Amino acid sequence: MAPGPMDAHVGRGDDGTIRIAAGPAASHDFTRAVLEVAGAVLAWNVLGAPGPPVAEIHDAARAQQWLWAVYGERTAATVHACAAGELAEVRVPADMTALASSAVRLGFGHWAARWWPASHLDGIPALEPDVIGLELAALTHECQQLFDAEGDQPDDCVAELIEEHQLALDQLIQWWHATPPSTDTARRLESVLRSVDDAADTAGLDGQALRRLRSSLDRPRPDGTPVDPASLFVRDRDYALAAGEPLVAGGRVIARGSGTNDWRRYPPGFVDASETAVSWTARALGARRQIEVEVVAHLAAPATGAPLLVAEVEVDGGHLSRVPLARRDDLWSGRADLELPDAGRTQPRIEIGVLLPGFDPGPGPEAGADRDAIRALVRRRLATAAQPFAHNTSPYEGTSGPFLAELTASTTDEDY
Amino acid sequence: MVIDHAWRGLGPGLESLSGPGGAPLTRTVKLIVLPLIVRPTLHPELAVDFLGPEQAEQLDALIRESGARLQATAQWFTLLKRTRRALGIVAGNPQDLYFQRCFELAAEHGAPSADTDSVAGALARAVVEDVADADGGRTVDALKRYLADPAQQALLDRELSTLWTGRQSAPASDTAAAAVALATEVLEAYGGAEGPRNASSYVDMVAAGHGDLLGRVLWAHASGVWGRDDLPAHLGLTERELPPRPQVGRGASTATLPAPLDRTLFERLFVVLQSSARREELPTVPELVGREVGRSCAPLGLYDESLRVAVVLGGRLAVGLDPLGTGDSAPGRTAAHRAINSRWRREASVLRARRMTVSPRPDPDGGVLGALAQDLRTPWAAYMRRLWVRLHGRDVRDAPLPDAASAWAVLDGVARSVMMDHRARVRSALRTLSAAPAVPEAAESRSA
Repeated sequence: MAPGPMDAHVGRGDDGTIRIAAGPAASHDFTRAVLEVAGAVLAWNVLGAPGPPVAEIHDAARAQQWLWAVYGERTAATVHACAAGELAEVRVPADMTALASSAVRLGFGHWAARWWPASHLDGIPALEPDVIGLELAALTHECQQLFDAEGDQPDDCVAELIEEHQLALDQLIQWWHATPPSTDTARRLESVLRSVDDAADTAGLDGQALRRLRSSLDRPRPDGTPVDPASLFVRDRDYALAAGEPLVAGGRVIARGSGTNDWRRYPPGFVDASETAVSWTARALGARRQIEVEVVAHLAAPATGAPLLVAEVEVDGGHLSRVPLARRDDLWSGRADLELPDAGRTQPRIEIGVLLPGFDPGPGPEAGADRDAIRALVRRRLATAAQPFAHNTSPYEGTSGPFLAELTASTTDEDY
Repeated sequence: MVIDHAWRGLGPGLESLSGPGGAPLTRTVKLIVLPLIVRPTLHPELAVDFLGPEQAEQLDALIRESGARLQATAQWFTLLKRTRRALGIVAGNPQDLYFQRCFELAAEHGAPSADTDSVAGALARAVVEDVADADGGRTVDALKRYLADPAQQALLDRELSTLWTGRQSAPASDTAAAAVALATEVLEAYGGAEGPRNASSYVDMVAAGHGDLLGRVLWAHASGVWGRDDLPAHLGLTERELPPRPQVGRGASTATLPAPLDRTLFERLFVVLQSSARREELPTVPELVGREVGRSCAPLGLYDESLRVAVVLGGRLAVGLDPLGTGDSAPGRTAAHRAINSRWRREASVLRARRMTVSPRPDPDGGVLGALAQDLRTPWAAYMRRLWVRLHGRDVRDAPLPDAASAWAVLDGVARSVMMDHRARVRSALRTLSAAPAVPEAAESRSA
């Protein structure tokens, strides 16, 4: 990684928060990875170069538990002085400590679990939630120094992660047994499984899947037949783009276009993340003007009869109206009558956004370029994950090494 | 850092007390190293964030001296975890439950012998069972049995009736204004981590019985306490206009607990018995019930005046909370409000980065998430409910709040819990939405 130390600014805000700024801040909610730790929030710009996090420290005394192990002793001392009122600049070693690297990876994993731009249209496969969940459990355990037992750090959630995702343990064990032991993948699988076992033991968890995990770790490893990891995590996803089959028959098309796919306005797992996932058609049916909106659904989108998402429609910068969208096969779609200016004169300017009511934080700034940058980032990662590791470098040591869920995702290409 | 260094210097044999990287577990430090080895009360010079070289050496020496005992502790912990699994016990975190016991076992017996059928095995079994049975019959079941007797029910009901009729409500709600003004002073004196800048107003409030006064005002007046006409005097502590006479009750369910002052005796004690980590320190069930009769008819449903004053402070704090960051400059926000509201802003920013938002503006189509956002628009209700439960738990255990700092710790902790609750609810609502079933049967089978 980058050689030599880098500059970090340590300063104290009006509300007493001490900030360690080690790099540029993220510009959008969806480019920001965060981790809540004892006395502070750590944040990274996922589009930035790998490096130590930005820390917003609200309780410097509690943060001393981990500051030295993440930023080094000097920074810890600077924060201590800063809490006492002195301001200072400090140079943070760019060589990340083991704890800093694990923290970056954990932060990125939480980000990936929420913002991974899975898209059928763009050919970006989804991450298996249970696989990433178990790897997050292992990483959380490895980062235990970051958390204290004060109960205000929702990311200190090893037990919850294991309980929620333990169904995938059997598949991971099977995958591990089927992977040649000399490979990085096998080492990573074993390390995740041992961490989960140790974490479960430490937290006093018990259950059938965990007992099977323990006994498989205690036994000498059997040589399994190689399996395609993706086949272990096949879910019932009969996915085929419904071509054609128009919702509205008849009428004269007076305008059509695509809308904005702002990921911030709906939860993960609802909408295909592609820029081209939202489209609309305006029609004239006699004197009526109707708009029809179609949004390509996420692979795992809930199958519901009742409308869940809505399209927000704005004509010529006027007031906003909503079109409820119901899931029909692989599309969220809906239509509504619209007040359009006379189509004979000017083309109406129609802006469409898709959102989940109650969730939507409101429209954000234009962010198409950053969404593209995220797609490029995950494509690079998937390409790396798809390469066999013949060389003896250790790709998992750094923060950019693939997650197990990325390895399974990168082998699902043929499904597309 | 010194602890970490000394710990690694102790060598192998500490794995069960260490994290994956070899550092001591957070709870090892909190439950064993600090209280049992460093003992800051005996060594006040070690109770600081940053140690000088001499103190660092002293700390290092203390930990090294305990090396053998820690290795024995680690072996006992492994044995206790194995014993617990064999007994099928899953309740509670084994570190919280056993760490200190293991350290005691190590002092008394050294390391456990390898053979688990031996004395060590029997000892381990005894400790695990002892910890599991430590409630000494202070259970919800015992409460249920005690209150099931119709004669007992009738007797308690008569007592409640007599006590409730004998209450004396306060004459007019403007008498509460003085209490609220003093509460403002106390909250303005909040000074962050350095502690309160001026603690005397809090002590004055307790001495003057301002909590008692607020409780008596609530019995007679439905509004006009908090300086805003749209706020009920009780801030959601009851669903009624005025708190009703408590009933005895025979059952409870966590999902359907009413507002605190509407709860039956059973429901009030149910919460205490459900949530207590150290139930062996509670009064016995008959004692609990006997005292709850009087408590439930006391102002604010609490005996201790310092805890009642904490309700006044909490109320004053709660009416100025701004979880949605609307920023409308409600008058009378204090230093304490700025601290908590700044934490809400931080939380909101984290929730946006984790894609767990709720719409800040009311949305008629908002569904469950819209309802959660609505709760954030009336944050005092969730805050007061949480606060009351915590204060009631302290009252039952005779744990008053002697000074402003301890009161602040509770007020602050409640604010954090309300945030954690909100996040847990958003997570659960999103999970439910994402798992919207294709066929309705799936939903029914889940709730069955």
